[in-house]
Amino acid sequence: MTPPPLARLALSALRRLVPVLAAISVLVFSIVHVIPGDPAVIAAGLEASPATVESIRRDLGLDQPLPVQYARFVTRALRGDFGTSVRTRAPVGQEILDRLPHTATLAAGGVLLALVIGMTVGTASALSSHVVVDRLLTAASLVAASTPSYWLALMLMLLFSVTLGWLPAIGAGTPAHYVLPCLALGLQSAGAVARMARAAIRDVLTQEFLRSARAKGVPEWRVLLAHGLRNALLPVVSLVGLRIGGLLAGTVLVESVFAVPGVGRMMADAVVARDFPVVQGGVLVVAAMVVVVNGVTDLVAAALDPRVRA
Amino acid sequence: MHACAPHRLRHLTARLLAIALMTAAGACGGDSAGTSATSGLRDRLVFAAAADATTLDPHNTTDTESDQVIMMVYEGLLGFDDAMKIVPKLAERYAVAADGVTWTFHLRSGVRFHDGAPLDAAAVKANFDRVLDPVANHKRLSLFSMIERVEAVDPATVRIVTKYPFGAFEPTIAHVSAAIVSPTVAAAKGKAFGSAADAVSGTGPYRVASWKKDQEIVLARFDGYWAAKGATREIVYRPIPEAAARVLALESGDVDVISRIPATDIPRLEQRADIAVHKLPGVGAQQFRFNLAKKPFHDARVRQAISYAINRPAIVQNLVASFARPSTSALTSIMRGYTNLGEIPYDPDKARALLKAAGFPAGFKTRIATTPRYPMGVELAEAVAADLKKVGIDAAIEVYDWATMVQFWAGLPPEKNTQEIFIMGAGASTADADWGLRPIFRTAPTNENNYGYYSNAEFDRVIEAAMRETDAAKRQALYTRAQQIVYLEDPGAVWLFDTLYSVATRTAVDGVRPQALGVVTFERASVRGS
Repeated sequence: MTPPPLARLALSALRRLVPVLAAISVLVFSIVHVIPGDPAVIAAGLEASPATVESIRRDLGLDQPLPVQYARFVTRALRGDFGTSVRTRAPVGQEILDRLPHTATLAAGGVLLALVIGMTVGTASALSSHVVVDRLLTAASLVAASTPSYWLALMLMLLFSVTLGWLPAIGAGTPAHYVLPCLALGLQSAGAVARMARAAIRDVLTQEFLRSARAKGVPEWRVLLAHGLRNALLPVVSLVGLRIGGLLAGTVLVESVFAVPGVGRMMADAVVARDFPVVQGGVLVVAAMVVVVNGVTDLVAAALDPRVRA
Repeated sequence: MHACAPHRLRHLTARLLAIALMTAAGACGGDSAGTSATSGLRDRLVFAAAADATTLDPHNTTDTESDQVIMMVYEGLLGFDDAMKIVPKLAERYAVAADGVTWTFHLRSGVRFHDGAPLDAAAVKANFDRVLDPVANHKRLSLFSMIERVEAVDPATVRIVTKYPFGAFEPTIAHVSAAIVSPTVAAAKGKAFGSAADAVSGTGPYRVASWKKDQEIVLARFDGYWAAKGATREIVYRPIPEAAARVLALESGDVDVISRIPATDIPRLEQRADIAVHKLPGVGAQQFRFNLAKKPFHDARVRQAISYAINRPAIVQNLVASFARPSTSALTSIMRGYTNLGEIPYDPDKARALLKAAGFPAGFKTRIATTPRYPMGVELAEAVAADLKKVGIDAAIEVYDWATMVQFWAGLPPEKNTQEIFIMGAGASTADADWGLRPIFRTAPTNENNYGYYSNAEFDRVIEAAMRETDAAKRQALYTRAQQIVYLEDPGAVWLFDTLYSVATRTAVDGVRPQALGVVTFERASVRGS
């Protein structure tokens, strides 16, 4: 008995998770140990004696050979134990769990904004009978897609917090705190989505099945929504799946600027301090998120696409 | 009356009148508030820190962001006042015996930790045993290495015996890492002490109410405090790592106080009517140091030449005017033991003559290592390199991130250290000449603290004698000599400028000033408004 196609897809996505995470664990472990900088030295501070540094190094297990360190890292990680932060001495798993909701909220909000703004602008641009409107919208999406999120974040803060005073500039806690960070994070993707949606809709509009639908007497709004937009969504969903990694990378900058206590900012701080356990744990969790989201977008694409579904 | 005023003056008069009225109103408001001390004041003050505290364990921290929270929560036997004078804190009084090594501290009575435990001699002894435990890896161990033993004489008396008469004993005991933590909580939490709100307990004017990592630390006024209680009920530390965002958060009113202000923003903030910028010279100085193990830096004439070749007034004026003032010695003016030896003049001719005498009439090639971690770190290296070029020294600039940079300063033997000239921010956290000179320039086999392998026999003798000298006048004379050697005769560094610490507040904030150690504290802070 074969499982239904969607379940099969879900299973294969899950199976992909294991080798990807295994590969990433090796990669991250190697990278943190190759880059210069000694966590024990940084943890000890500039005024410490070499004996203290050596003792901290032993405490962290950094005096062991690399393969031993890796084996220990993996066996502990399998039990859900990512070790202890070099900087704060707090358990890494807890540090990540505390921050994950903020990053997940930001990423979800960013994707949602990207989809809503991008699809609206893309559709309007594709259906617009005015060349000028189309050109303006296309230009706007190009600008949005090319604006660095770091600069955009500061400009949003300057406009909406300092000049207008509508939204809080920094922090987390209330929904209002997430508006500007989500905008800063999602706008770049919104530009890309708009461009993709416009091209896809333009493409779909020339397809024969639309003409058949119209010939059958289907009302125009139904033709556009049920047949046009639905098919145009396919490449957009794949695009969002591809961009999720970039979006999560963007949280590093956006969380730092808006002082959101998320995983991205934690990892940035950890890299600066060579806090290996935090970097390793953080990257693994984020990588797992990317793989899962990619799996989900594959499923959504399959649900939308009759060819994949079959 | 106002009509008589010349037109141009009218605005000013009106403004002065308005200020006078407001001040009067403020005063009246204060009077009518009667016994309620908090009336007209806000309940909380929000401070944008540059980073979250890494730990609130005073025996285990070396970073400013942690220290400034710790100073609100804990106290030591001694402390510093605003002018960096030593003042008794948990010790009511103290005395040193004639032998110069036996210090007796009489504890203040009725002091309690935030967890309710009483402060007594056993608690103090437990604290010093904790920081001196060689197995526990407390980062501040080396600072207290002169302590021989600590005894609880009776519940209210502690005796500390040092291995030798130590001239800088009082500033060391006043140092933040000699803070007394609750032994009950420390023992219960073990290594996790200081890592969460419920793993912190001191005797200070504020206690930690909550700590959400990277989001906020909330300090609440400690009602059982033994001295004057804080004016503001809650102090909130909100870490904003991005400097530009920190400034915007102050301008938008999201936060009341910021520190670590980007140099380029200071002049603009100073112009704003709703923001006040306060600056203070402290223990910090920016230098470029030499690796004396590398030729030709073993030659004092070469180091002097480089020092004379640098146009400090131009560098300070063009790059760091908003937070710097010229150095006048190897120590900053607020430090105990400082002697004003004057600014090093800009004299490229003298530099060329010294280079010629040292055998380098055409100059030489070298490298300058720097890091953007220091404000304008890269720009300063570029400016120094440009000045050196004018006397024939061709300096290439190498930029490192902090983690890579400190690798070079981590107890390397000379043959493993490739740096030649390197940037260094100095700032002795005891504000005393001993910690400001001894670890940094005394001859040592590796560069654990003497990062440039500086070695001068007379300096070593003087600094050793000064360390063991407890007579103030003799001590000062020795440190003057030590500064003459390392600043002028056999320079260990190019002292570029002394750093001014700056804090910017909304004008409604009172009682917040930068402190000489580079921290900001809020025990007297208040915010007007409701």
